Amino acid sequence: MDLTPNSEQEALLTATADWCRDNMPLEQARNRHPALWNQLAEMGWLGMTAPGMDLDHATEALVFAELGRHLAPVGMISSAVAARWSGHQGKTALALLDRDLTGGLLRVYDAPGATHALGLVGGLAALTALPSDLGGEPGLDLSAPLAHIDPAPPFTALGDPRAALHLQLLSAAFAVGVAEAARDMAAEYAKMREQFERPIGWFQALKHICADMAVRAAVARSQLLYAACSLDAGDADAAFHIASAKHLADQAAIDNGRANIQVHGGIGMTDEAYPHLCLKRAHLLTFVAPPERGVILGEAA
Amino acid sequence: MDIQFSAEEQRFREECRDWLHANVPAEKRPMDAADAIAFDKAWQRRLFDAGWAGINWPTEYGGRGLSIVQQVIWLEEYAKAHAPWIGANFVGVNHGGPTLIINASEAQKEYHLPRILKGESIWCQGFSEPGAGSDLAGIKTRARIEGNELVINGSKIWTSFAHVADWQELVLRTEEGSQRHRGLSWVICDMHAPGIEIRPIRKISGQVEFAQVFYDDVRIPLDNVVGGLGNGWKVAMSTLSFERGTGFIADQVKQSQEISELLERARATGAIKDDRIAEQLMQMRAEVTALRAMTYRNISEVVRNGQPGPEASVIRLFTSELGQRLQRMALLLMGDDVLDFRYGDDNRVAEYLRGFAATIAGGTAQIQRDIIAERVLGLPKSR
Repeated sequence: MDLTPNSEQEALLTATADWCRDNMPLEQARNRHPALWNQLAEMGWLGMTAPGMDLDHATEALVFAELGRHLAPVGMISSAVAARWSGHQGKTALALLDRDLTGGLLRVYDAPGATHALGLVGGLAALTALPSDLGGEPGLDLSAPLAHIDPAPPFTALGDPRAALHLQLLSAAFAVGVAEAARDMAAEYAKMREQFERPIGWFQALKHICADMAVRAAVARSQLLYAACSLDAGDADAAFHIASAKHLADQAAIDNGRANIQVHGGIGMTDEAYPHLCLKRAHLLTFVAPPERGVILGEAA
Repeated sequence: MDIQFSAEEQRFREECRDWLHANVPAEKRPMDAADAIAFDKAWQRRLFDAGWAGINWPTEYGGRGLSIVQQVIWLEEYAKAHAPWIGANFVGVNHGGPTLIINASEAQKEYHLPRILKGESIWCQGFSEPGAGSDLAGIKTRARIEGNELVINGSKIWTSFAHVADWQELVLRTEEGSQRHRGLSWVICDMHAPGIEIRPIRKISGQVEFAQVFYDDVRIPLDNVVGGLGNGWKVAMSTLSFERGTGFIADQVKQSQEISELLERARATGAIKDDRIAEQLMQMRAEVTALRAMTYRNISEVVRNGQPGPEASVIRLFTSELGQRLQRMALLLMGDDVLDFRYGDDNRVAEYLRGFAATIAGGTAQIQRDIIAERVLGLPKSR
């Protein structure tokens, strides 16, 4: 039993953080360069657990939390799942359907350049082919190009039920990253911004908001790592642990996203500042493989 | 990273389970105070004789010298077996003892540690004062040095088990005119010494479990100072950091029992069909399992680096508040039966009322948030 990263994982995380800072800073999340996807593929992040790569989900979850912290494209999640459980390598767009999917509207994120999209259909991960000219405009999440297809085209389910758990796990990892980004942004601002002739972080009212952000992020990260290990171990409770991780990660991302805006005050209300990017990403992630209450309560489906 | 225990650890777990299965007493801890203490001491002795006391304490002082992971396994099985609450041995085993291991002289360790493990000596704590709660450095209880003795005057409060304790971990001012953290000493005080008066205090749950202690020219040998005169703050902090590290594992394990029981009850009564109840239970089940993950992470940190990471303070805060949410839910599931609670009842209402201590004792939730903000996030110190 060991829930701390080993030295190889530490090194990989440091390299990931450095690369993200230089090539994919959060501050540019709404203006990602079209060449970014090729770089992400070159870094190997779109298929870490794909056959032949031999990395485990624990390592992948650590890296995806780091990517999520920089508001990496959400299509990375669907791409990684497709690479692991189907033959699709490279970019696979992220599909969001209504849960009871007869007809209805399909939302597709990060479609440009992708031939397929992956999403949850009736509890299973499934793929659909995309029209070649599908573009994308920012919706609520300004960092995720969104296209609509109405009615939704047919999907083909992937055979392995673990693909859906994988999707839920990686979206939880992204949410943990968002929760941590918001926590750090708030803490940095609280150290720098001065009122009453001292940093606002000196005041307990602000301190306690920030401390609660740290608690939520730590709780969510711990459960994420445990859940990733449970998927690696083929644990009978893996679905429960992953659903719990997703629930806590979404909650941490939303609550920290909100608190971050409050800590920033008036600046937090502006389009120009960055706190709203975290909150909006958090809201998008709650729609990706949402956890089911029955799974967390341990009830038979 | 992995969540599998080694073959050796799994064998150890079975060993724990087997012994507990055969030895956990069928009778409940008695309600009567004197009977309860006798019960606590007898149970501690039984644990010691079978080799289950001080699992990760050094062998030369009666411990088993095993790993912290084995300690966690023991505590997990202990809770699953519904073994008795540690009771009056809490301060000695979980607080005083670990502090002595880190800070005490050979003679002090040799005398006290085996007695703690055997349940022969009961300890209490003497940190808080009427005027020094969250602001612990405001301690006024003082001692002057006369020959090779300390002569103590002052008062401590919220002292659990004071009336039955043999020894007290007492932090007091040994340097006249010293301020704040300086000039304090951590002393082993003999609770049977002349000049000590104990006034019991009744809690909101009806139980008389703590007291105010008064010292009137109490004489204690200078040899009872632990970690050197004037180093009391440092010694006391080593105890508190232990608390934030692994001192609350037993509580955390109990909480996973608690949520299972609550779920069972909610299903049996049909309360779970109420969406608001189901939603809260879902939240708490996810939180309890995350708490275990967080504890494992903290333990892994101790194994890897020899000490808990800064996020250990997060565990302490989260555990105490989660425990209170569980107790609140237990009350909700009781319905209007809560209205029949009477002083003397030892039920979930009593637990709920006693549970308020979790965010007050050993550093309030507010102080814990200050610590997290300052030490984990690096916000400026406001005190």
